[in-house]
Amino acid sequence: MKNILTITWYSLREAMARKVFISFFIISLLTIFFVAFIISMPNFVKAFVVGAGNNFLESFTALEIMFISPISLIGILMSVFSSASFIPVMLEKGNIDLLLSKPISREQLLIGKYLGGIAVVLINIALLIIGVWLVFSIKFSVWNFGFLLTIFTITFTFAILYSIIVLFGILTKSSAPGMMIAYLIFLIVSPVLYSVKYKLGVLIQSSLVKGIVDFVYYLFPKTSELMGKTTYDLATGGGITNYQPVLTSLGFLILTLGIAVAIFRKKDF
Amino acid sequence: MDFNAIETSTLSKVYSSAFGRKKIEALSGLTLTVAPGTIFGFLGPNGAGKTTFVKLLLGITFPTSGSAKILGEDISGYKIKSKIGYLPENHKYPAYLKGSEVLDFYGKLSGMDGDILRKKIDELLELVQLTQWKKTKVKAYSKGMMQRLGLAQALLNDPELIFLDEPTDGVDPIGRKEIRDILLELKSRNKTIFLNSHLLSEVEQITDRVGILNKGKLIKEGTVKELTQKREEYKLSLEGAAVNDLVNHANNEFNLTSLGEGYFNLKVTDSNELNKILDAFRAKGIMIKEMVQQKDSLEDIFISLIKESENGGVK
Repeated sequence: MKNILTITWYSLREAMARKVFISFFIISLLTIFFVAFIISMPNFVKAFVVGAGNNFLESFTALEIMFISPISLIGILMSVFSSASFIPVMLEKGNIDLLLSKPISREQLLIGKYLGGIAVVLINIALLIIGVWLVFSIKFSVWNFGFLLTIFTITFTFAILYSIIVLFGILTKSSAPGMMIAYLIFLIVSPVLYSVKYKLGVLIQSSLVKGIVDFVYYLFPKTSELMGKTTYDLATGGGITNYQPVLTSLGFLILTLGIAVAIFRKKDF
Repeated sequence: MDFNAIETSTLSKVYSSAFGRKKIEALSGLTLTVAPGTIFGFLGPNGAGKTTFVKLLLGITFPTSGSAKILGEDISGYKIKSKIGYLPENHKYPAYLKGSEVLDFYGKLSGMDGDILRKKIDELLELVQLTQWKKTKVKAYSKGMMQRLGLAQALLNDPELIFLDEPTDGVDPIGRKEIRDILLELKSRNKTIFLNSHLLSEVEQITDRVGILNKGKLIKEGTVKELTQKREEYKLSLEGAAVNDLVNHANNEFNLTSLGEGYFNLKVTDSNELNKILDAFRAKGIMIKEMVQQKDSLEDIFISLIKESENGGVK
């Protein structure tokens, strides 16, 4: 465990050195100031309270999410970009030789690096969400603690994408393939599969085609649902209403990371 | 220590290309033993398999066949590495770290922590003369400084067995001498050192035994003394009026070759013949100012063995 924590800590240092942290931090601060500025505009609160009517809490959360969603999306895209080189850099000749010559197992090394990437995103997303939450809570005097749970859904979404980056990083020793596949799944595959399964599904007559759609849908991670419905449910305090996207995505993460570890254990450097 | 520091038996490594169409035999049935408390020099031309051998022992690469033990334990486990130090060739440290932070990182990975680690870092930085650079990021280090830091890194955990791959690469002559002294001091503390190097003269100076590798095969192994046998050949410095005459008739009378400026190379069959020739020189009024018996340097042996091996065993 000590070895994993050492690798995780030094991955955070690497992120700081590459200005990932500071860039994320500046964007988060600007977002928080922007939110504070918007909701401090004259009559903003009054107009919102009147407009929300009886659905105040729901509308309040929707407003919070409206501010947080685009930033989270950009945050994830940025995180994928900035963390994609962690594994290829670790695998560079002269670096990996030294790491593997130490009394640390290959599993510990890879898991430590994986957790380091996730820690970078967790800290930054937490800063952003807690900042926005504080601004809203102080201004409206409404303390919606459920909103803070979105930190975990957004970080979990990144963790899934990062497992893909880790796997392709191990396979190719390059950052580009993993990054491209992560973007493809996050921006295209997941939203399209969701639409095909739930919006266009009724139009599919063939049971074979339906079976294929179901297989592919359940196989791939549901990042769009995690960032959408699951995040919204948690933010409004309703809890997770549908565990399927969480569990199947977790299964994908474990499988992807498991394959990465298995390959890394046998790889010659 | 009642076991060998390194013990390998028919260790082989074959690298396969994608889809396994092309195979490269990097190491072929290597059997080698390195006794504890010695310095072993591993020599070979580029691509001979020296680094592959070290990587196999350290679990960085996996053997295709054969077995190996380091410090009495099978190489498949990773915990034994807490007793091992390694300086790879072309090592790369995280550029964002300072010298002392690099040592802190690798020290922690070696299972060290707290005051013991801090004290050891200061001690080693002093040893490799980098104390004044400890707060400088390693990206500003020169090649020689990186090698010194690498050596400090390899010694952090007070290892029993140390693998050094070209440790003096990029280091100036004074620095090289200092590194040699450090290695000899480590040997005096019963540490085993496995040294991969191209610098044959350096290897000759400090190693107890030497292995010569070519195309993945161990072609010779022995002590430096065994490998560098003296020859019945002498370098002479001669003076006297008859020296010029000697030069003119050198090849007829004696097996003597002029090296210029009064120096000659004399080949004899045994010491009796040598004495007779020396007497003949004196009889001609030639003064023998200097006489040194010639021996093969490690470099001569190395080149000769590699050529022999390239020609399939024919000199």
